[in-house]
Amino acid sequence: MKHRAESFAKVAVPVRALLNRFALLFLILAAFAIMLLGKADTFMMERARSSVVDVVAPVMDALSRPIATVSEGVDRFNRFFSVYAENTQLREQNARLLEWQSAALALAAENSTFRKMLNFVPERGASFAAARVIGDSGGVFVRSVLINAGSAEGIEKGDAVVNGDGLIGRVAEVGGRAGRVLLVSDLNSRIPVVAEKSRVRAILAGDNSPTPKLAFLPPNARIEVGDRIVTSGHGGVFPAGLPVGQISSVADGVIRVQPFADFYRLEYVRIITEFPGEVAGQIVPSSARPSRQR
Amino acid sequence: MITAAFQRLDRSARQLAPFLSSIFLVMLSALPVYIPGYGQVAVDVGLMTVFYWAIYRPDLFPVIAAFVLGLWQDILVGSPIGLHALILLLANWAIVSQRTFFQGKSFAVIWWCFSLVALAASIVAWVIVCALNTTFVSPVAVLFQAALTVGMFPFMAWFLARAQHAIVRPLDE
Repeated sequence: MKHRAESFAKVAVPVRALLNRFALLFLILAAFAIMLLGKADTFMMERARSSVVDVVAPVMDALSRPIATVSEGVDRFNRFFSVYAENTQLREQNARLLEWQSAALALAAENSTFRKMLNFVPERGASFAAARVIGDSGGVFVRSVLINAGSAEGIEKGDAVVNGDGLIGRVAEVGGRAGRVLLVSDLNSRIPVVAEKSRVRAILAGDNSPTPKLAFLPPNARIEVGDRIVTSGHGGVFPAGLPVGQISSVADGVIRVQPFADFYRLEYVRIITEFPGEVAGQIVPSSARPSRQR
Repeated sequence: MITAAFQRLDRSARQLAPFLSSIFLVMLSALPVYIPGYGQVAVDVGLMTVFYWAIYRPDLFPVIAAFVLGLWQDILVGSPIGLHALILLLANWAIVSQRTFFQGKSFAVIWWCFSLVALAASIVAWVIVCALNTTFVSPVAVLFQAALTVGMFPFMAWFLARAQHAIVRPLDE
């Protein structure tokens, strides 16, 4: 027994010394290898990442709740002081909205008669899953948030993520009970959009700034500051007509869009897990789309 | 027999404390805080803990710990996997190799050195991200993050010093 331990030590000690000497070099090479692998085989890295996040998601979920409560409390306290001003503003807005309501009702009635004339087949409703944001550090180079819902809730990679204000981004990685949402403003975010009024198509390309750029516009497209931008639904990944933002600046050929959603205060989001296949302008036929049934 | 086992357990728990607390702090730093813009320039907690332990207890924070902490940070934050692993490795190596210089130096000197390390780390990170995405990424956010991290370092150092005193110190006795 003693002899065996000695012979083990005889081998182990030099091996350990060698390892210590080369550990740093080896780990540096490993870090580079992992980075390149992540670039080449994104699928494998996403799997690895989401399985780790899956394990810690419940912990982060629990830890993020008190922070959210404090933030809510501060917010409520602040709002208390602006109650009067807000009330006046809301009254004005309500008056305006009532006008809109009557206009909308008239249009709806008109629409339904036209539909009857055309034998219109109504679309299936979209299905949603709700989730809480449990991590939003994102870091310096990535604009993304972690959510506490995953494939168990029917979420798939590529699903559109929205909140009450508008589009937030798309699901980039999905695990069993957690997922990562790539925000519209991320460097790697590309979303087909259309200007609501002029119907000019473009790609909304994030560049890590708070206001993403419009790219691939047709030549001499007319875009003005204040124009609303919505998803176009091209490619069939996103439903058409989700509000995205409005044009905030047009300068030197660079057109920037201010998203409607406030990415800094995301608490709850909705993930569109299923939407009507008959979206206008969709290129991929519904039979060719990957099955989204659960 | 049982007390000996518990003592061993206690000892290894104390030895692991620097690494495990760093893992926990990095996770805390990834939680949403609802401060506009903070998520983009969030303080680099990993770099602070690696720097602190590399100066004061490098024996309890080997290179492999820096590597694993970096991977953990990359996974939680969503940055390219391997980026922070590399940066924390280099930071750990740079400080441990200069360890004799730090001995007996005042906190001001150590803070100054940390600002150099944070600047170097952000430049390395920026170059790598530009290369990985093959596009120019604005370095403003990185530099701002470095500045914020340097500004917060004294608080973190104070906290870690308390932790070191309470948890790690008994190992030497």
